[in-house]
Amino acid sequence: MGNLKTGHLVEAGLWLLLALVLFIFSFEFNKPIEIYKFGASGWPRAIILMIVLAALGQLAWHWKRGEGGATSKLNAAADDSVEAPEDHSSLNWYAHTFAMVAIPFIYLRVPDFLGGMMGLPPDGLGTIKLLTAFPLMALFGWMAYRNQVGGMLALPIFFGALLEDMGFYALAPVFAMCVMYLMGERRIGWMAGVAAGVFGILLFMFVKLLYVGLPTGNIHPFYDFGTWIVTILQ
Amino acid sequence: MDAFTNFATGTVTLFSDPLGIALFFGGVIGGMLFGAIPGVSMLTLAAILLPFTAHLSAEHGIMLFSVIYCTGVYGGAITAILFNIPGAPENAPTAFDGYPMTLKGEAGKAVGAAVMCSAIGGTVSAILMMLATEPIAEWAISAFGPPEIFALVFFGLAVAASVGAKTLWKGWLSILAGLMIAVVGLDPVGGIERYDFEMPYLLAGIHFIPTILGFFAVSEIMVQAEKKATGAYKAPKISVDFPSFGELWAHKIAVLRSIIIGFFCGILPGIGATLAAFMGYNEAVRWSKERWEFGKGKLEGVISSETANNAATGAAMIPLLALGLPGGALTAMMVGVFQMHDMEPGPLVFINSADLVWVVFAAMFFANLSILFIGFLETKTIINLLRIPFQFLAPLILMLATVGAYAVRGLVIDVVVMFVAGVAGFFLRRTGYSVAGIVLGLILGKIGEQTFAQAMQMLHYEWTGYFSRPIGLSLLIAGLLTLGASAYRAFFAEPEPEGPPEDAKTT
Repeated sequence: MGNLKTGHLVEAGLWLLLALVLFIFSFEFNKPIEIYKFGASGWPRAIILMIVLAALGQLAWHWKRGEGGATSKLNAAADDSVEAPEDHSSLNWYAHTFAMVAIPFIYLRVPDFLGGMMGLPPDGLGTIKLLTAFPLMALFGWMAYRNQVGGMLALPIFFGALLEDMGFYALAPVFAMCVMYLMGERRIGWMAGVAAGVFGILLFMFVKLLYVGLPTGNIHPFYDFGTWIVTILQ
Repeated sequence: MDAFTNFATGTVTLFSDPLGIALFFGGVIGGMLFGAIPGVSMLTLAAILLPFTAHLSAEHGIMLFSVIYCTGVYGGAITAILFNIPGAPENAPTAFDGYPMTLKGEAGKAVGAAVMCSAIGGTVSAILMMLATEPIAEWAISAFGPPEIFALVFFGLAVAASVGAKTLWKGWLSILAGLMIAVVGLDPVGGIERYDFEMPYLLAGIHFIPTILGFFAVSEIMVQAEKKATGAYKAPKISVDFPSFGELWAHKIAVLRSIIIGFFCGILPGIGATLAAFMGYNEAVRWSKERWEFGKGKLEGVISSETANNAATGAAMIPLLALGLPGGALTAMMVGVFQMHDMEPGPLVFINSADLVWVVFAAMFFANLSILFIGFLETKTIINLLRIPFQFLAPLILMLATVGAYAVRGLVIDVVVMFVAGVAGFFLRRTGYSVAGIVLGLILGKIGEQTFAQAMQMLHYEWTGYFSRPIGLSLLIAGLLTLGASAYRAFFAEPEPEGPPEDAKTT
């Protein structure tokens, strides 16, 4: 095993797995192009091969050197990596965090899937989305309370996932307050004031002055709220 | 008419028209402001303004965009230095040393150097652009075809693999990951869908603006959030002490080297200022006697990167105006402005619209000069953003980033991509991978594949065809040597110390 550690094997395994998945999917577009000998899959497969070589090279390097330091002064010079704190690098922490990151994707997939199964019209789908969103929000809140850093990682993705349906105007102030809470702020007055200030600046700058159309949402009553604000401002 | 007369005529035309003056100063301040606000960039402003240019003359529209380009590239350095959030990809290497300088309480010095060097690089580049556009355009047309551009992309990626990651292997894997992300969407030759997973959004590919915002802005906030949660957070120290003339003079060689690198990289279509900045930084590290100090807050790192990326702004106009080929996102938007006015950029612009060309040249020259004066004033105010507690600044940055990502194409999924990139960046940085490398791979991937396909078709799929193309051959060999040397070093050489050698400590 040389100087290899389990982490090195997992890292190499993930890269090789990624390469394998990408290679399998490359058959979907492995079509010839009349004017180009290598076709649509030539370039991606060359990159996949290089990923495999680099992953194996890294594994061999770890085998010889272990964790090692930077392999050159150039690497040491611009290394923008960060050290993981001990209590945030356990398997438990990763599992909990990735479970939280999965919540927004559940929201993005499940309502459409259920709506499709039930053959619902768009209005009905909105109800399903609301019924899915609120329990997921509660679950997210409970998990984020126990793991604030994980919450901070997953919260923006959840915000992004809800944006299409609930709109920027309704979500942004709540999002701002949640970010402040997860970053350790507990003074409610300050949180509300900063959220209102930030929201106001953004609305004035982008909606009032520059006429940027931000997502209004497409579920009632969020859509109505978003269009009401836009109407007032413009 | 010679260049000087043309320049004088362009200057008079620019400043004799009240609307032109208003647009010029609006562009200067807007570019700096949007470049310097965390989360949005000059591209956000340009995307917002693009539809409005239909109501302006072509001259005013192109002039406005060229001014935003010059000052926006500088403005992006401010956020890179203060918050580790590059305003644009070309500012990414600025963050390598600029942000550690902020953490050390030398933000003023770093921003001051960025102001000076952006102005110097940009102004020299504008002068060179005026003097050399036509001869260089003629040379570039004959000397730089797809095989040369592909060879240059290859060389640039080979060099960049050695910057930003913990080891060379991680550097290569980062760049390869970026190249793979660039594959998503339609293939550039046959228009065949790749890795779209039947999602219409992915057909257009993954846009680099949300990705950059995610990898840099969002991941940095997540890193800081973790530090706050674990009690490891240190507020940046505030200073407005600009560098002395002596400090800047000591780096004259770095400035000169970066101007040359920046200008020549900027000329090349599709690569532009990003490669210029990476190569400028990389060469500074390579030639330095104190290489171990780079990445820990060395002034020369900021100087090299900022001089090179602004030196590329003037040069980037050469392929745009002479060949109709944009060098990056903002110059691509300029093509849109031309098209809105039923014009096509290209060699005929010099004949049919000489006035327009020289007004633009004059505007770029004065925009770069104005960085020097307005930049210092702006810096004194913007640096005070650091006084705001991070828990209050974070939601502002995240929401601005949301608006910035959404404004590019009006797609919510771009916002989701940005936040996913943020989480990916958080974990990649923990494991020693380079987010800058991924971004560079993503940006150069598309043009790399396109020029590779064109080169292979031109060379009838024979690599030996490069033997009749000395520039392309030299770049390929240089790239291969860089790869070979780094592979050798990775396997056989002893790891180099991260601190100064013993003899350096005693001197």
